[in-house]
Amino acid sequence: MTSLTSPQPPAPTVALAASARGLMKSFGRDDTLVHALRGVDLDLPAGRFTAIMGPSGSGKSTLMHCLAGLDQPTAGGVTVAGQALEGMDDDTLTRFRRDHVGFVFQAFNLLPMLSAAQNIWLPTELAGRDRERSLRERFDGIVETLGLTERLTHRPAELSGGQQQRVAIARALLSAPAIVFADEPTGNLDSSSSAEVLSLLRQSVRELGQTVVMVTHETEAATYADDVIVLADGRITERRQAAA
Amino acid sequence: MRTVILASLRTHTRRYGAALLAIVVGSAFIVVTAALSSAVRDGLTAGIGEPYAGADAVLDRPSSGDAARLLAAAPGDDADAWLVGWTMQQVAREGKVIDSSTDIAQVPDRPAHRWQDLLDGRFPGAPGEALVDTNAAKAKQLALGDRLRIGTGSSALEVTVVGIADSPSNHAVASVYLLWSDLSRWADSLYVGSLAWSGGGYDAARSAIRTVVPDAEPTTVPAFLQELQREVNNGVDIIQVVVLLFGAIALVVAVLVINNTFTILFAQRSRDFALLRCVGATRSQVLRSVRLESVALGVLAAIIGVLSGLGAGYGLVALVRAQWPGARLGHADVAPAWLAGSAAVAVGVTLVAAWLPTRRAVRISPLAALRPDDSTQARTRTGRIRIAFGAVMLVAGVLGLVAAVATANVGALAVGGATVFLGVLLFGPILVPALIRATGPLTRRLLGPAGRLAAGNAVRNPRRTAATVASLLIGVTLTTAVLTGMASSRSAVSAEMDEQYSIDLTVTAQGPLPADAVDRLAAVDGVAAAVPVPGAVATIDDLAPLPLLPASADGDATVLHGALPTPGPRQVLVPWDLLGDGLEVGDVVPVTVGDRTRELRVAGGEGWGEAALVRRTTLDALAPAAAVHAVWLRAAGDADPEDLAGSVEAIAAPVDAGVENGLAKRSYVDLQLDVLTGGVVGLLAIAVLIALVGIGNTLGLSVLERGREHALLRALGLTRRQVRRMLATEAVLLSLVATVLGTALGVVFAWTAVRALVQPAIDGAGLVLPWGQLGLVVTIAALAGLVAAVVPSRRASRIAPAAGLSLD
Ligand SMILES: Nc1ncnc2c1ncn2[C@@H]1O[C@H](COP(=O)(O)OP(=O)(O)OP(=O)(O)O)[C@@H](O)[C@H]1O
Ligand SMILES: [Mg+2]
Repeated sequence: MTSLTSPQPPAPTVALAASARGLMKSFGRDDTLVHALRGVDLDLPAGRFTAIMGPSGSGKSTLMHCLAGLDQPTAGGVTVAGQALEGMDDDTLTRFRRDHVGFVFQAFNLLPMLSAAQNIWLPTELAGRDRERSLRERFDGIVETLGLTERLTHRPAELSGGQQQRVAIARALLSAPAIVFADEPTGNLDSSSSAEVLSLLRQSVRELGQTVVMVTHETEAATYADDVIVLADGRITERRQAAA
Repeated sequence: MRTVILASLRTHTRRYGAALLAIVVGSAFIVVTAALSSAVRDGLTAGIGEPYAGADAVLDRPSSGDAARLLAAAPGDDADAWLVGWTMQQVAREGKVIDSSTDIAQVPDRPAHRWQDLLDGRFPGAPGEALVDTNAAKAKQLALGDRLRIGTGSSALEVTVVGIADSPSNHAVASVYLLWSDLSRWADSLYVGSLAWSGGGYDAARSAIRTVVPDAEPTTVPAFLQELQREVNNGVDIIQVVVLLFGAIALVVAVLVINNTFTILFAQRSRDFALLRCVGATRSQVLRSVRLESVALGVLAAIIGVLSGLGAGYGLVALVRAQWPGARLGHADVAPAWLAGSAAVAVGVTLVAAWLPTRRAVRISPLAALRPDDSTQARTRTGRIRIAFGAVMLVAGVLGLVAAVATANVGALAVGGATVFLGVLLFGPILVPALIRATGPLTRRLLGPAGRLAAGNAVRNPRRTAATVASLLIGVTLTTAVLTGMASSRSAVSAEMDEQYSIDLTVTAQGPLPADAVDRLAAVDGVAAAVPVPGAVATIDDLAPLPLLPASADGDATVLHGALPTPGPRQVLVPWDLLGDGLEVGDVVPVTVGDRTRELRVAGGEGWGEAALVRRTTLDALAPAAAVHAVWLRAAGDADPEDLAGSVEAIAAPVDAGVENGLAKRSYVDLQLDVLTGGVVGLLAIAVLIALVGIGNTLGLSVLERGREHALLRALGLTRRQVRRMLATEAVLLSLVATVLGTALGVVFAWTAVRALVQPAIDGAGLVLPWGQLGLVVTIAALAGLVAAVVPSRRASRIAPAAGLSLD
């Protein structure tokens, strides 16, 4: 991201938006002990569209939660936008997410009592940045690109599933975060809405230089990505680069 | 189906916690009331017959004159008579007034008839000796050998405390007991409850009494006691009903809270119900299962309520008996009927509250389970019928209130007020969100995004919000109505008191006061102004000589709160307590000063001390060289009535002047109004408490419902503190809107009540707003809202964002 000026370690080839080393995560204890992640090493280069794939229960969501600072890994470290997440307390982590990470979830992305525009502004408002002129211009641009101009005053309940996801993408892009995480963003959509959302995500990578990491189990969806990482039983079993 | 019921009870019991608490408080309140009133009843009737032991006949409420004649006649032969009655007099020790109004009663002359239980010392054997009640002795720190001065002026009496006694009967208890030879000096101001006569059996006693008072109707002791017992019981019953009325208010609030709980829980579980329908449960099976759930809740609440009520009731009575023996509570004994009634009310209230929500719950179609979850956009539409109904109620209620003002009718006032209130409740789903939205800019300014989110959350389910607000609204409306009504009555009463006790303190003497008396009185700490009043000692008809004062003195404007009554040119105003026995209002009697006499018409009055009042011109005609016979004093604003009376008494006593303490009477009335206000507000506090539990409950259930939303907000950058602040703001918004609306309604109701009830009784009574108290109510409600939000908001903020996102 061009607007991001965090100090980066000297990168060999490309700058890294996020990376993980020896990431482990387990849930429960004794009888109910589940190892969701069993040692994941991962580098996510900036300005690329990465898809994380794998069968159900393989640990995709868990990996994404750990990378995004939504959950604390049991062992291992995560670095996002050049900052190590371990050791941050909850408030620091929250502020970090607010400033550097964007999210699109499968469902329940929007707050029902806020209009589409209010939902898009929410993270920047929480950060107290909603009055910045540059953001206002960016807002207009994103809203127009995503075709939401007509829908800004509508509440989520008055929007279709595809429109809701577009609002969520607009929200994730507005603050120009270091990285955008999307967990099955097309899981609830029909194929044409899916295609629309996926091309919007790819467009944001191509045109805005955004870094996007998407969790999906649809092979179809993965074809939009630059890189694909396949997870099985908490380990990375395959990394491949899609035809760029 | 049994497995479903049991499983859902297990999973949801905790969510029923607040509803349970609301019913428990309500039903426990009933049991506590029963325990307390049984203790009061026991205390009042215990030993009620003791003072009449040995009597053959009892005369109920004879006039003080008849009583005095009977007591004078009795010791003749074998007979004896004693009375149960009181006079209220000032009591001082070593020049310090201990109590400006103490109850003084009789200790019978004959040892056999002395019903007081002697604890220490001995019974009075001669004039100038007094027996003191043990609780009064403790409260006022009186001991054997203390010298007391009872009363003021020429009738004042110096006594020595020779005994400490307890009273076996709360009905006859007094603080100080004197022999009749001492007590009789206040025969004029004595209130006689009953007179006991012994000697020769009922018939002999009856004829003996009737020879002195020909039209007397004495009864036998058992008949008298039965009647007395009945009166006491009636009194307790009335208090009990009044207190239970507040219990009913608390229960109405509990119904709202429980109803809201069921509505929210069933809304959250509507998908479960639909799923049950999908897999083959019939509508009536689902209905039965949720009904059973509410019955189980009601029964549980009844058991806990009755048990905790018993514990609290008996505990409270034991505590009061141990700590404040002067309160004279008896033993608590709750009749099983009360327990059954309280349990029935608990179950009934639960069923009533659950009725509508359960019906709504089963009306859901099986397909609902297959539709995507839309619980978050459950924007219940406010029915048109509801609004129309609300409008009709509002109009009818306002008409009722107008009619109440016009006709001064209490019934119309109550019905009109209740109807207006119901109308407001029906409008709630529109009114409350509108009010909350109106505060939007302010909360946003103060609290930023968390504040805006809170305002949004507070209005997203208007009916739920309205129901939550309604529960608090009831308590707040009644509280502010009572506070405002009391403040208005108080100012009306104090205007009335200005007329009735227009002089704070009067010092009145039978002879001319020494020249320096005025200056010394004016110099007393706490005296703001002193005015000398000329006068002369007059003989009015057969009364004992009495100072005759003019109704206006030079400079009396500096001491008078309100105008003294103005006697006509041929009129004399005589204190009420001297009228009745022989001298009546309207009599034309000779008034003599020295060798001059005037025929004047008698009228009654009070508030200027032990003296008769005439026109200035009449006094000049009767006593051309009037000397100062009285000093009227104005107390400083912050003077303590008792201290001041002590200082004034110290100057007045040596010159044989009597002191009348209007200030103490005013402050006594003030105190009674304070106690009344405090009692009513305290009882209403229970309803308010239940409503606050309800707010915490609604919030807690909403937090469960919004788990994913909070997780999303946390993911997007809301800090823990902001989550807590958001929920606290929501609770405060709810309680503030309820309070502001309730205060407005309360003031309107108070205004109509003042117009309808107080104004006809007291001229010029107007609405007085107790700003301080109203402000306090709003502040307390806001703080209580904060407290109600503590548990839910902590729970909400503790959830980790990742965990919250995987909730469903
Ligand atoms: N909060 C939790 N408590 C216990 N176990 C959990 C928790 N979250 C995830 N798991 C377990 O961790 C493993 C990985 O779960 P995860 O949600 O990451 O899978 P996933 O790859 O996202 O699957 P899906 O494609 O179905 O969403 C699973 O076995 C799951 O049961
Ligand atoms: Mg997943």
